[in-house]
Amino acid sequence: MTTYIIRRILILPVIVLGVTMLIFAMLSLLTPYERASLYVQDVPKRQGAIEGIIEKYGLDDPIHIQYYYWMMGQRDPDTGKVQGGILRGDLGFSKTGASSVAEVIGRRLPATAELAVWAAVPMIGIGIALGVLSAVHHNKLVDQVLRVFSIVGWSIPTFVFGLVVLMFFYAKLGWFPPGRLSNWASQIVQSGAFTRYTQVNTLDALLNLRLDIFWDALKHLILPVTTLAYLNWAYLLRVTRSSMLDTLRQDYMTTARSKGLTESMVVWRHGLVNALIPIITIGGLVLIGLLNGVVITETIFNYPGMGSFLAQAALSLDVVSVLGITFFSSVVLVAGNLLVDVLYGFADPRIRLK
Amino acid sequence: MKIIKKLLTNPTSLTGILLLFAFMVIAIGAPWIAPPPENARDPYMIPRDGFSTTPELPNDVHPLGTTEGQYDIFYGVIWGTRTAFRIGVVITIFTAIIGLTIGSFSAYYGGWLDEVLMRVTEIFQAFPFLLAAITLSSVLQTIYGRGEAGPLMFLAKLLALVTFGSNPTENVDPIQLQILTGMLAIITFGWMTYARVIRGNILVVREKEYALAARTIGAGDMRILLRHLLPNAIYPVLVIASMNTGSYVLAFAALSFLGLGAQRGYADWGQMINFARNWIPSLADHWHIVAYPGLAIVLFVLAWNLVGDVLRDTLDPRMRGKGV
Repeated sequence: MTTYIIRRILILPVIVLGVTMLIFAMLSLLTPYERASLYVQDVPKRQGAIEGIIEKYGLDDPIHIQYYYWMMGQRDPDTGKVQGGILRGDLGFSKTGASSVAEVIGRRLPATAELAVWAAVPMIGIGIALGVLSAVHHNKLVDQVLRVFSIVGWSIPTFVFGLVVLMFFYAKLGWFPPGRLSNWASQIVQSGAFTRYTQVNTLDALLNLRLDIFWDALKHLILPVTTLAYLNWAYLLRVTRSSMLDTLRQDYMTTARSKGLTESMVVWRHGLVNALIPIITIGGLVLIGLLNGVVITETIFNYPGMGSFLAQAALSLDVVSVLGITFFSSVVLVAGNLLVDVLYGFADPRIRLK
Repeated sequence: MKIIKKLLTNPTSLTGILLLFAFMVIAIGAPWIAPPPENARDPYMIPRDGFSTTPELPNDVHPLGTTEGQYDIFYGVIWGTRTAFRIGVVITIFTAIIGLTIGSFSAYYGGWLDEVLMRVTEIFQAFPFLLAAITLSSVLQTIYGRGEAGPLMFLAKLLALVTFGSNPTENVDPIQLQILTGMLAIITFGWMTYARVIRGNILVVREKEYALAARTIGAGDMRILLRHLLPNAIYPVLVIASMNTGSYVLAFAALSFLGLGAQRGYADWGQMINFARNWIPSLADHWHIVAYPGLAIVLFVLAWNLVGDVLRDTLDPRMRGKGV
């Protein structure tokens, strides 16, 4: 088990290094002029200023030297300050966010995390429950209906689903508005009377004992959460179904039945617990679904998170911001995959006891 | 033959095939179903009826209504079918070729080459697909926006030749170039499933007796790989190809929806829905700007997925019921 985890952890830097190389490769497709904007916050008005920056930061240097500077940062010959260096957390300056990319991520991450966590709970819960239902009623009507539901779900683009729910629940019924908070709530949240412990609205509202704000934040979350979750239900359903079908055929299920356990006991206690082990492995795919999903979902629901920022930056071809956020998301994904591997190792005795 | 029979008798896949057939008829018949205006420079640019911003509901002149800026939705949905086929099929062909090449070399030669190629595959998979595609297309748009003919222009011309049948000696039409950047981005980050699956399969068939037999009669590496191994390992690729064509169309539609795919006014379903973003508070009155192009995408992707679902069950009983 320990060797297994150590092996997974050792491979992590290799993958992250590869990710940085790929990001740098995309970046180096740009000319030195375009890349100079990594270092400046504004295009200088003086003649020759850009050439100065290219010279100063060695943007014309051989590619491996540039890569080193880009990774580790580089000492500014005038001020003596080290600048840049993504390993130091400096992802460059974001024109769209008018601050450093790292700051933008720090500012926008809580909103995205709030959305993703709220979406993950119903997504995993309902996805697995439907999968079990489908497997238990294998080839019966329920199974067929759920199969159609999952294929159709798979075929609906996030943005179409999101716009349709907005059409009904916002434009028609006026129940759930887009955005993150209503104006009145947002004023209270930004006032001194409200302490922002975590920047996560629902959590902060509870900590401040403001149920009205909690309810308002929740109301804004329901539609984006549904959109994010719906698109991944289909996937979880199918994986759970097939894993559960395999488990239900095992001998120990027959043993459990023959010793007189109730059917629900057999299915949930003996079946699902064992079927869950392979389901853990798709945790990484669920994370990909969430990371991809937030871009579109946040854009439609006008939700101020990392995803909508990425879309906005990409539209104005703000390459530095886009690359920074994509790099950050990849690191999250790689870390998430590691976590999944470790969890899998713990959950499966065949690996744990090796 | 058995596969085709199965596909035609299973109600699920038959629905998919009929849908695809209907879309094909629409795509081929587009110039007759929705004839472009006489003086149109590019039939893929949706004709406009005035410049008023408010979308018009379906009426006698515009059977499915108009979007913001009076682009005719019926025309866009019909010609968009061609765009969807082009994008889905071309991306699938390119990703499959890249994945097949990398996967089969990796498995056949093994050793350090396998190690390197598989790590590279893993690195590409370390990116959330849509984010990577958005990133690359914004980089590519910056580069192609310069209009200089670099080595990347060769890629664009190759893709333009396959997708639009453009003449490679001429400059690429800027309208098409924007679509090609999105396609290139999806291709770059879309080949990994093929590589991994084909690698696994070649590893299995490589050990078969016929591979050894071919080697003993002196067949070269390429001959063994292309004539003996690939044909025996390629079936799952058909399944993935059919399932993926749908998801590539979805990915491109997402890029278009964000404004990074097709240009404003181009007959592309994702791009048409992009207009709806400005009308969210009044979507209840302007439902048609989402409903018709949205329905087109859903049915198109659904058709591919239905076929792929049955193909998977038929071609590989081991994969039956597994979500791949």
